[in-house]
Amino acid sequence: KMAAAGSLRRAGWRLWRGRAVVRCQLSPPQHPLQASAVLRRVSDEQKKEPLASSSQQQFDSHATDHQPEQEPQGPRPSYTGQGGQESEDYETEEQLQHRILTAALEFVPEHGWTAEAIAEGAKTLGLSVAAAGMFHSDGSELILHFVSQCNTKLSELLEQEQKLVQLGEAEKKPTDQFLRDAVEARLRMLIPYIEKWPQALSILLLPHNIPSSLNLLTSMIDDVWHYAGDQSTDFNWYTRRAVLTGIYNTTELVMMQDSSPDFEETWRFLENRVADAMNMGNTANQVQSTGEAVVQGLMGAAVTVSNAETIRAVR
Amino acid sequence: LPAGGASLRLCSTRATLEGINKPVIDRIIRVDHAGEYGANRIYAGQMAVLGRSSVGPIIQQMWNQEKDHLKKFNELMVAYRVRPTVLLPFWNVAGFVLGAGSALLGKKSAMACTVAVEESISDHYNSQIRTLMEEDPEKYKELLQIIKQFRDDEREHHDIGLEHDAEAAPAYSVLKTAIKLGCKAAIFLSERI
Repeated sequence: KMAAAGSLRRAGWRLWRGRAVVRCQLSPPQHPLQASAVLRRVSDEQKKEPLASSSQQQFDSHATDHQPEQEPQGPRPSYTGQGGQESEDYETEEQLQHRILTAALEFVPEHGWTAEAIAEGAKTLGLSVAAAGMFHSDGSELILHFVSQCNTKLSELLEQEQKLVQLGEAEKKPTDQFLRDAVEARLRMLIPYIEKWPQALSILLLPHNIPSSLNLLTSMIDDVWHYAGDQSTDFNWYTRRAVLTGIYNTTELVMMQDSSPDFEETWRFLENRVADAMNMGNTANQVQSTGEAVVQGLMGAAVTVSNAETIRAVR
Repeated sequence: LPAGGASLRLCSTRATLEGINKPVIDRIIRVDHAGEYGANRIYAGQMAVLGRSSVGPIIQQMWNQEKDHLKKFNELMVAYRVRPTVLLPFWNVAGFVLGAGSALLGKKSAMACTVAVEESISDHYNSQIRTLMEEDPEKYKELLQIIKQFRDDEREHHDIGLEHDAEAAPAYSVLKTAIKLGCKAAIFLSERI
């Protein structure tokens, strides 16, 4: 069941990412010459190569039907492979790392966020397990990669929802419901990995990971508020994000401990926290208007007293 | 058609944000927003003291223009998804205190304060215009237009201040230097935090 879910997920990532097409698996070589080109590609990927544009990668899956030399665009590196033939597709080390990490996610429920999972992922791509040596031994990059992917998924989801509202096909949600749904959608992405997520959280809190994990967290929260329609340009900008960050983090922790069916307890907790936050906003406004009223009252009293003094002085 | 202009604005942000130099634009809008906010508070402080004097109407007029500037930067801030500076509450108080303080020293000192602040701001806008021109005048055409317009407005305020005997204020050069220094510090901080 896990394997099926894993391969579906992988297909989903690929479709959704668009660019990271795994050429070796999707475009089977039809020609013996191309077969060797494919094998060479696998070993070529281990080396550093200049950036290929994403459109180039899409062209490449068509290009395997033609001569490998045909390239749709621009200046290429003059790197030649073992048979003297030039490598037709190349990717940066970063793109390769992304592919390995994405493949590794499938093995996380079994191996945890570790180098073993990365090694397994590398194996499924036809690479040697030594590829896991590219990464930190504590699995940091794998976790950060996962978080980044989830955040991107969330942004896309929110963008879609916004489009539907603009087209009039959906109702605009009230703020509290919007926030609840967004946080729930984001947290649900953790469900397949929930067993090992506490481990991931503790790794994300390591000093050398904090800048990146904080960055990812703040940009996710900013995204959610942006799509919720926040247009504050004063200190509210900060208070809203701080409050939502608090809600997200506490709900995440509750989720770790939750054993209710489909995490009902967590979503109920979330609902309560969001309601609290809304109330807090109202209370703050009330406090402010009360404060202003008090100040006006005091000013009036001061004016009355000074008038009374003036009259007494005149008499 | 989608209901409400707000949702249209949100839709346009993705297009607006692609291909721009985000860190540079971020800084520019953040600091300009902080500047207009501060200028607003300075004029508010001056009005609180000198509102009923002879220079009241002219200060009110300049204040109204600053309010328009602030409104524009609020819009730009939302459109470009820029974070406002954390120091806003501080500039709120500091601006008011500066305005009220200079006004308490007299009408001419209030004008001197205006001259110093407006000079700082127009120099600052000029350097931003230079930066954007170096980057890509075409891409940032709208922003450049806005900043140029505002720079001209601030220059006008500066000249109004001079017309109303700012230079006759007691300790004019000391006051002016001190305020300009304060503005430089405020600009430095608002760009970053």
